[in-house]
Amino acid sequence: MSATATPVRTASSQEFRPGSRRQHEVTRLLPGPLLAIILVFLCAVVLIPVAYIFLASVNSDIGVANGEFLPSSFSLENYTKIWSSVGLATGLANSVLVAGATAVVSAAMSVATAYVLVRYQFRGRLTILRGLLALQSVPGTLMVLPVFVLFSSAASYLGIQVIGTQWGLFVTYLTFAMPFSTWVMVTYLRGLPRELEEAARIDGASNVGVLVRIILPLSWPGIVVSGIFAFLLGWNDVLFASVMTRPESQTAAVALQVFGASQEGGAIPLYGQMMAASLVCAAPVVILYLIFQRYLVGGLTAGGVK
Amino acid sequence: MSTDSFKDLRTTTGSASGSSKPATPAPTARPRKGEVPRAAPGGSQPPGARRKGLSERNRPLWMLIPGGLLMVVIIVVPLLLGIYMAGLDLDQYTLRRWVSAPFIGVDNFVEALVSSPLLRSVWLSVSYSLIAMVVTLPLGIAAAVATQNAFKGRALIRSVFLIPYVLPSFVVATVWRTMFQPNGVVDSALGTIGIDAGLWLNGPQTYWTLILVQIWASWPFIYLLALSGLQSVDHEVHEASALDGALWWNKLRYVVFPYLKGPLSLAFLIGMLHHINNFTLPFVLFGVPAPADVEVLPILTYVTSFQSFRFGLSAAMAFVSLVLIAIPLFVYLRAVKLDDAETPGGKK
Repeated sequence: MSATATPVRTASSQEFRPGSRRQHEVTRLLPGPLLAIILVFLCAVVLIPVAYIFLASVNSDIGVANGEFLPSSFSLENYTKIWSSVGLATGLANSVLVAGATAVVSAAMSVATAYVLVRYQFRGRLTILRGLLALQSVPGTLMVLPVFVLFSSAASYLGIQVIGTQWGLFVTYLTFAMPFSTWVMVTYLRGLPRELEEAARIDGASNVGVLVRIILPLSWPGIVVSGIFAFLLGWNDVLFASVMTRPESQTAAVALQVFGASQEGGAIPLYGQMMAASLVCAAPVVILYLIFQRYLVGGLTAGGVK
Repeated sequence: MSTDSFKDLRTTTGSASGSSKPATPAPTARPRKGEVPRAAPGGSQPPGARRKGLSERNRPLWMLIPGGLLMVVIIVVPLLLGIYMAGLDLDQYTLRRWVSAPFIGVDNFVEALVSSPLLRSVWLSVSYSLIAMVVTLPLGIAAAVATQNAFKGRALIRSVFLIPYVLPSFVVATVWRTMFQPNGVVDSALGTIGIDAGLWLNGPQTYWTLILVQIWASWPFIYLLALSGLQSVDHEVHEASALDGALWWNKLRYVVFPYLKGPLSLAFLIGMLHHINNFTLPFVLFGVPAPADVEVLPILTYVTSFQSFRFGLSAAMAFVSLVLIAIPLFVYLRAVKLDDAETPGGKK
């Protein structure tokens, strides 16, 4: 038994810093070779398509159509074309506007909501908590038609034009972001000690005072996470945006989807531009994740939803 | 923090009554602070008397109003509206004046179940979600187990593992759509090893294309939850199994995997909900009208609404998908422990 384990241990212990070597031997879960195989396999599975996005974006369309992985020609032209051809300039501006506003407002509202839900006991509190979880799973396809009808009715009965504007999307994303953002904040605020709030109360702070002066400064990591998730919801949505926007209020997601779909049936599709636009659309999201990775991973597993 | 909540989850699922007990609403506005610490482990809570007075005096429940109002107007009202619309004969002509559209009762449901591809779509949705789930589980667990112990470059690899999950669905779908083009990069790669895979984006194989891309995009979620499960394994357990000289697979099988049961059942439920609800991936990957073999529920509902303009029928289909979603959702809500608010010293 130990005969099989020993060579593995000595082989791989070189990687580890000597100080913590024994620690590693105790907690290690896999033999070195198997570990390497898993890591190499999974990294390849992830990185090859990701690398392909970039490689295809600098390749010629014919090259992509012929199935080249490594480009036969190199040009950054696609990155200058996409702003008007895909409509990415308008799309990105709209996406940033709508998703950004959603993030800010949703984070602010979810702090207040979560604060009340965590710190106060009242009738229906658990129902609300359960409702927050349940609402995250309501299928978007179920909601899109009634929301559309509701907004159209707002136009015909109240004279408020919502469909086709960024306002409609903003309100929709805000609402759909709220359950998850609030849940993230609930899990975060639970971890905060009460003592500071109590001290502030003894000093005569009001409810709003406690929220603004004590809770807000303490819960920035949670607020950032819940804001980012709200942002991503708006950024990644195709369903509502495809139904509720006009070309001038289109988000980047819809712009790319429409561009991709319009390439069917023509000559050689403009693959290079599609990939360049994909990369540009993905970049802000990936950068956000990398910056806030530590917090976001905690938020993900706490709420368990993308 | 996350690991804590999963410990809670595990204990909650163990005793089924645990979650339902606090669900009974308090009879009056009487704060239940006093009885909660009983459920919470450890008695580090100061006596509740002083705090009880504080929270009873002025609870800022008005702070719930903005969010609550929004959710009622944009989620609850449309939800009810959608259910009502399922009983209307609603098409592009009657939609403008939907209030006065003819009410036809359950006809839409009958049509959806009898003469539409709904049941087939339900089957496609459920089977594709399950297959994708069954494949992502071992991938995610392997990734988590492989990155559990520290090694040089682990942080980088952990970031890499998250990329597929981080990429927006519409980007993932656009990229795979390009790679799966006839004679595209996937075909030429398979061609070099002598495999002619046929069409990926048309015909019966599309079903497997969808599953493949879904797996690629969603295994990191399993990985994340498995990782949080692994982190809850006590060090003593490692030491004990090392002392016993347990082989690595025995250790995994009998010592480590039991810790993953809780997080992974949670991941399974949430993953199923996500897959069944996933609209963007099949929509962007195949476009509409989608090939018949990937006409999953969200796509069918969308096409019925916005391509065939059978809004009433579509609402009925959407209602069926809600019922379908309700099954894993119900299990999920039962399993999640809502109220660990009073757990002292939750760490972040």
